[in-house]
Amino acid sequence: MAYTPQYGPGKSIVAENRRKQMNPSVKLEKIRNVTDEDIVMILGHRAPGQAYPSAHPPLAEQGEPDCPIRKIVTPTEGAKAGDRVRYIQFADSMYNAPSQPYQRTYTECYRYRGIDPGTLSGRQIVETRERDLEKISADLINTNLFDPARVGIRGATVHGHSLRLAEDGMMFDMLQRCVLEGGSVKYVKDQIGVPLDRKVDVGKPMDDAWLKANTTMFHSLVGTAFRDDAEYVEYVQRIHSLRTKYGFMPVE
Amino acid sequence: MTDTEFPQCRIVTERFLNPETVEKILNKLVAIEGIRRIVINGPSIPQLVPYGPARGLPNPLSGKARILVGETDVDLRVQVGTILLELETRDIVPRIDEACREVFSNFTYGLKEGKFMRSTPTQTDYAKYGPGADELMIGLVDPKNKTGPTLIQGTK
Repeated sequence: MAYTPQYGPGKSIVAENRRKQMNPSVKLEKIRNVTDEDIVMILGHRAPGQAYPSAHPPLAEQGEPDCPIRKIVTPTEGAKAGDRVRYIQFADSMYNAPSQPYQRTYTECYRYRGIDPGTLSGRQIVETRERDLEKISADLINTNLFDPARVGIRGATVHGHSLRLAEDGMMFDMLQRCVLEGGSVKYVKDQIGVPLDRKVDVGKPMDDAWLKANTTMFHSLVGTAFRDDAEYVEYVQRIHSLRTKYGFMPVE
Repeated sequence: MTDTEFPQCRIVTERFLNPETVEKILNKLVAIEGIRRIVINGPSIPQLVPYGPARGLPNPLSGKARILVGETDVDLRVQVGTILLELETRDIVPRIDEACREVFSNFTYGLKEGKFMRSTPTQTDYAKYGPGADELMIGLVDPKNKTGPTLIQGTK
């Protein structure tokens, strides 16, 4: 019998959203249209229009050793060209942000190749070859994984995930990389905090109803409470019990 | 040592405050007679980028960094989310509550009486201020901070 991944337990809307994001056969919903040039500016790794700096010669030129694994695995475009490895990092507010660090890592691992995600409590970084990164970043920013107010693109000084929101609904950012102007969020600094030559518009913040319906985070005060999803609680308790009793080799 | 008899209260807002709102609430509070000390608290907003490849670069912000409280300029170094007050008498708590209700109209807040400021000097306080520390300074500012408190002309 062919194995069909379930992606995750739970009957709540949060669980359903988690499954939708992870399942690569579900197309991510495109919500905004931030241009490639704007994404390059926010990332801050190279100037828009600049050629991709390389870490090694293109694979076709450097002569690959005779290796069975290299024959099986097709290199990504960035690897083929010898691009540098660069990153994008997100901080997600616990107030109903559309995604969250663990979720992002699962989602990216199911959907993209040649990536190296790093998961932390309040932020998630993904590293990959530069031109692949720009494509992945466009997906991560333009779709329902992103909200301009509750998600921040922050390479360093990321503090904000677990803090109260500001009066205007923006997540706290001590570097104030993005500001709400005329109902639209504009990046005034790149992800590490260097001021940009021009403001980069990433669109209007989504409303509270949309965030509550599309979040992948449980929150008992502003969203769906974890305890309301009995199936999820049962699953987590079972894993906890098996891990406690049997360590890394659970046997029932 | 600070006289522990003075009542204290803490205002915690549901949202972090804009500098304009901080200015508004502080101006209402300083107009109330009988508040000895006010501490505004929240996550720090550094003047220089503290971490990462851009470390050390200036950190310009679009909001107001200086507010006018009474007739005194106050530099905002934090995004305010908590206000601690030390009072001469607890009779003025309803007036503080009223000021909060007027200013925080778009979100909720909590006003709690209790003990929120340090009343005995720590080792760091001792190292900074010595044995004869001014009792008003204890628990008011971070002893490691180079900037002191702002004094606002009282009504007495």
